[in-house]
Amino acid sequence: MLQMEAWRPTVTRASLGAINHRVPDPFERLFLQEYPKVVAIAYRVLADRPAAEDVAQEVFLKFHRSYSPDSERASGWLHAAAVHSALNVIRGERRRALRETAHALDPARPTIASPERLVEEAEQRREVRRALSRLPQRTAAVLMLRHSGLSYAEVATALGIKVGNVGTLLRRAEEALRKEVKRATPE
Amino acid sequence: MRHLSDGTLRRIYDEPLALTAADQAHFDECAECKPRFHVIANDARATTGLLEVPAFEPQAPAALAVVRTRIKREETARPPRWYERWLGRTSLRWRPMATPAIAVLLAAALLTGLGVSGIAQSLFRIFEPKQLQAVTVSPSDFAQTTALLDYGQVKWLPEAPKVQQLTDAAAAQTQSGLPVLMPASLPNGVSGPVSYGAVSRATGSLTFDAERLRASAATKGVKVNPMPSGINGSTLVVNAGPALIEVWGFAAGSGMNVPTLVIAQTRVPTVDSNGATTAQLEDYLLSQPGVPPELAAQVRAIKDPSTTLPIPIPAGLATTESTQINGTPATLIKAVLGAGVVWVKNGVIYAVGGQLTPDQVLAIATSLH
Repeated sequence: MLQMEAWRPTVTRASLGAINHRVPDPFERLFLQEYPKVVAIAYRVLADRPAAEDVAQEVFLKFHRSYSPDSERASGWLHAAAVHSALNVIRGERRRALRETAHALDPARPTIASPERLVEEAEQRREVRRALSRLPQRTAAVLMLRHSGLSYAEVATALGIKVGNVGTLLRRAEEALRKEVKRATPE
Repeated sequence: MRHLSDGTLRRIYDEPLALTAADQAHFDECAECKPRFHVIANDARATTGLLEVPAFEPQAPAALAVVRTRIKREETARPPRWYERWLGRTSLRWRPMATPAIAVLLAAALLTGLGVSGIAQSLFRIFEPKQLQAVTVSPSDFAQTTALLDYGQVKWLPEAPKVQQLTDAAAAQTQSGLPVLMPASLPNGVSGPVSYGAVSRATGSLTFDAERLRASAATKGVKVNPMPSGINGSTLVVNAGPALIEVWGFAAGSGMNVPTLVIAQTRVPTVDSNGATTAQLEDYLLSQPGVPPELAAQVRAIKDPSTTLPIPIPAGLATTESTQINGTPATLIKAVLGAGVVWVKNGVIYAVGGQLTPDQVLAIATSLH
């Protein structure tokens, strides 16, 4: 027990040192901190892993070209850019009459479920994304940012709205999405 | 009286702790706001289901390497021509078109889906816990219970819950959709990196089958009471999760492997039924041979079984008492090696526990933000 107490602080200092060594510049620090959220937002919208990774990388490239990673607005800008870029992709897909087959054919995904189930899930995801692409941009953005796990404060910062309004917009967005899905799949 | 807006009620579902004291007091007393909250929470839950995607853990370092390479290339390259710039915007990869075989499978899946959707309309909610009650159990109680028998067909809709171990708070929040909670301060003895466990939301169904139960009881040589016709054939749909678990003192590769503090939260599970009622199920399951009479008596004594979640407490190893966390009734569990406290607030079950004294646990629980 004494031994454990003796080495614990050393381990902490060593690992912190290693992290500091590995994160030498502000862009890298911002990237490592925000990439999981940015890609999660794009993935929630697109339901397609490679496409989400492409969108997230594009967002960071665009950010790097125009902004300083030290900017206070960096996180909000990245989240907003991620949701808008991904929504633009599904809107584009709708116009091109949607050619891809989402995850049902993703070789990277372990196939535990039956092929029928995978196809059913993929079709449901595709139907929901079609409905999403028909919602107004801001409505879809609030919905997807929150359902990607962002807090109400983060959603508000990304979209430049008051925190107190997020709940109201989210509630309306959820009703709108469900209505749109229902309209597209009549019983 | 001014009622809470739809937006505030929607926020309670996601961020129950963000409610002002005045709004919380109104909510706790208001007979109109509560049913509105349940409708809104159900819609939110349904939307989460609609937007669900298979889990995946982003690889930030690998992505950074790709972005770094592209930045370097951009910086050294000549300025792009106008059409190249335009082409660059359509660089997203596309998947191949659906083959006819897939189209056939898809049609079959849709047809089966339609058959199933009829059930959804006849489901009614039989269980949505709003409070907790300790129930003492002896570890030996479960040795011969009939709980492990095959009561019918179990299905995950669409798949069993997944647990992801993460080291990053932001990723844990993103994966679980629940806010990462932190105590105002940590007691002595609790230190080190926090590891996170994110459990995805899951929906499962159980369709009771009298014949399957009879057959499995015969195989295991156990006597069971025959399943009443009111239960046989009816389906229960259980909705559980997501959950977020924060653990101190247990981190892969750090050499520390004894959790000193655990903070857990999960949305309350709900159960919907298209036939059997809570009372029918309770009567039948508690009367099975092998269920200890003391346990059955404790569960039967719960006044409102459709809104009370029993917490099993091992007899002789821990005791419980009632307490409050910021005005919400809570159950404090005192054991020899540690303590824990559990409470339900606005549709989320919270638990704090560890190798700590009851006072330390309560201090952490009341300071969570």
